[in-house]
Amino acid sequence: MNDRNLLRGLFLIVVSLGFGLGSLRYSIGQFSHAGPGLFPLMVSCLLLVIGVVSVVRSRFVDPEHMTFNFRNIAIILGSLASFALVSEFVNVTAGIVAMVFLSAFSATTYSVARNIKISIGLFLVALAFHKLLGLNLVLY
Amino acid sequence: MEVLHNLAFGFSHALTMQNLLFCAIGCTVGTFVGLLPGLGPLATISLLLPLTYSIPTGGALIMLAGIYYGAQYGDSVSAITMKIPHASSIVACIDGYAMTLKGKTGLALFTAGVSSFIGGTVAIVVLSLFAPMLGEVAFLFGPADYCALMLVGFVCVSFVTTGSLINGLAMCLIGVLLGQIGTDVNSGVPRFTFDLPFLAEGVGLVSIALGCFGIAEITKNLDNRDERTPFNGTINLIPTWAEFKRIIPSALRGSVIGSFLGILPGGGPVIAQFAAYAVDKKFSKYKDEIGSGAIEGVAGQAAADEAAARTSFIPLMSIGIPENAVMALMMAAFVIKGIQPGPNMIAGHPDLFWGLVASMWVGNCFLLILNVPLVRYWLSVFKIPYAVLFPSILFFCCIGTFSVNNNLDDIFITAVFGFIGYMFMRLDLDAAPLMLGFILGPMLEENFRRAMLLSRGSFGAFFTRPISGTLLSLIALFVLWQLVSFFLQARKGGKALEPAVAHEE
Repeated sequence: MNDRNLLRGLFLIVVSLGFGLGSLRYSIGQFSHAGPGLFPLMVSCLLLVIGVVSVVRSRFVDPEHMTFNFRNIAIILGSLASFALVSEFVNVTAGIVAMVFLSAFSATTYSVARNIKISIGLFLVALAFHKLLGLNLVLY
Repeated sequence: MEVLHNLAFGFSHALTMQNLLFCAIGCTVGTFVGLLPGLGPLATISLLLPLTYSIPTGGALIMLAGIYYGAQYGDSVSAITMKIPHASSIVACIDGYAMTLKGKTGLALFTAGVSSFIGGTVAIVVLSLFAPMLGEVAFLFGPADYCALMLVGFVCVSFVTTGSLINGLAMCLIGVLLGQIGTDVNSGVPRFTFDLPFLAEGVGLVSIALGCFGIAEITKNLDNRDERTPFNGTINLIPTWAEFKRIIPSALRGSVIGSFLGILPGGGPVIAQFAAYAVDKKFSKYKDEIGSGAIEGVAGQAAADEAAARTSFIPLMSIGIPENAVMALMMAAFVIKGIQPGPNMIAGHPDLFWGLVASMWVGNCFLLILNVPLVRYWLSVFKIPYAVLFPSILFFCCIGTFSVNNNLDDIFITAVFGFIGYMFMRLDLDAAPLMLGFILGPMLEENFRRAMLLSRGSFGAFFTRPISGTLLSLIALFVLWQLVSFFLQARKGGKALEPAVAHEE
């Protein structure tokens, strides 16, 4: 089952059905007076055809194993979310610290001293953006 | 004479202190970010696009163009010295890295720098001559022709960037569908918004670009856990006269090839450098040495790469249709700054158009200064450990997303697209065609609806009009060729069913 070619085809089918069925909720109209649902429906149908072709094609080519490292993507997305949340409720400086310390878990080595140095460096960059480019960052 | 007059007008804009500064900043920052592992021109522009929001329109466009060819240049440095390839520097890895192994890094970098300068200069002449001419042709285009041209762009980009037509087309279509999210401009109906107010205006381009290129790229590099060895070799930049003479013919050949291929839909630096390399291998006086570290192997492709990067602006600025993903992003930047690229741009904003063209040559000079004498300092970038780099790139992704609407919630959307981009990567789906589809999607829909309205619902307009008929016939022939080659290979029982074309990024 863990065949990249097959999974790709199935993924395309899911996306096409998501948008295709969603577009049926809007007026389709006629070709001469297209409604808001017509164009996305047409594009979804094309994508569905490609998805089906991909699934069929996967039966004729050698399967390729697909790897998916949940740990790293989860840490990276978590660190982005932490930056947004901490910046929202505390300030951007705290957001930078949270992001750097959390994201460092996905590196090969973990060093608190290094994280502090990176945080200070990024704070200075943020300060420059705030002062020079006028970015609306609540730094402190 | 008119061209010279226009160029002089352009230089009067490009050579103002402010625009010179923006050009220099663009080239420097572009080169720096382009050097970083995993960040090609597309990712670099995505990352740095928000920085131009607070800059005046002319300066912002000059800076973005500088970022683009600076990133291209930075790529070639990393390819030659450390064999870290990006889309725009795959071929530089062959002979460029072979020269490094022979201890001729300085010569390879000098060759790449000078050849890029020659390529860029030739391309600017082509751009000045052809863009206004093509702009007049664009007035002949009707809605059906625009649709057909966009479809040709989809097919060409899909094939060139991913090597697999169906995977590339699928990504284009997903991009078009993502472009449908938001309020339909014709009926005012919100589509696919799930009643979420922040989706009423559609998904932000920066969120998609940073998610699919920035975040996904970082995660891929972390997954690979590559420990790169910094370049520590010696660099002797001054070539002998005999070596210098070998650069010129190859660079001129590459410039012509790159200038031509840069204009074609789906063209651009990737395909141009391969073509120039192939031509040099066939016609160069030193063709037997190419492949094992020859000057010609670096000069031709570097000139073609730079020339194509510049002439790919021609379709964007004269017809208003970007021909590859990088140009699609540039188009978005134009639109964000309130400029609609197309046939009216040259007449409506001559200062911007000719100023941008002239700034390209100024940028060429900056790059020559930046890359040739200062290259040893650039290489110190590779000494920064990835553990330090990636939190910094993440921070720039966050700031880039935030700066669009001054809204921290947009970072969550970037994170979602980061996950989607990572999935695309694992499924071996290239995100570059998605960007083209996303940016052209609304324009494709508008022109499709207009064409159908004019033809009263008949698809005949697409086949009876000479321009769209020809373009659609080309697509049909291409698809047929792909199908035939697939079945022929399948009948032979060959396992390599995918065409062997370079993968972008």
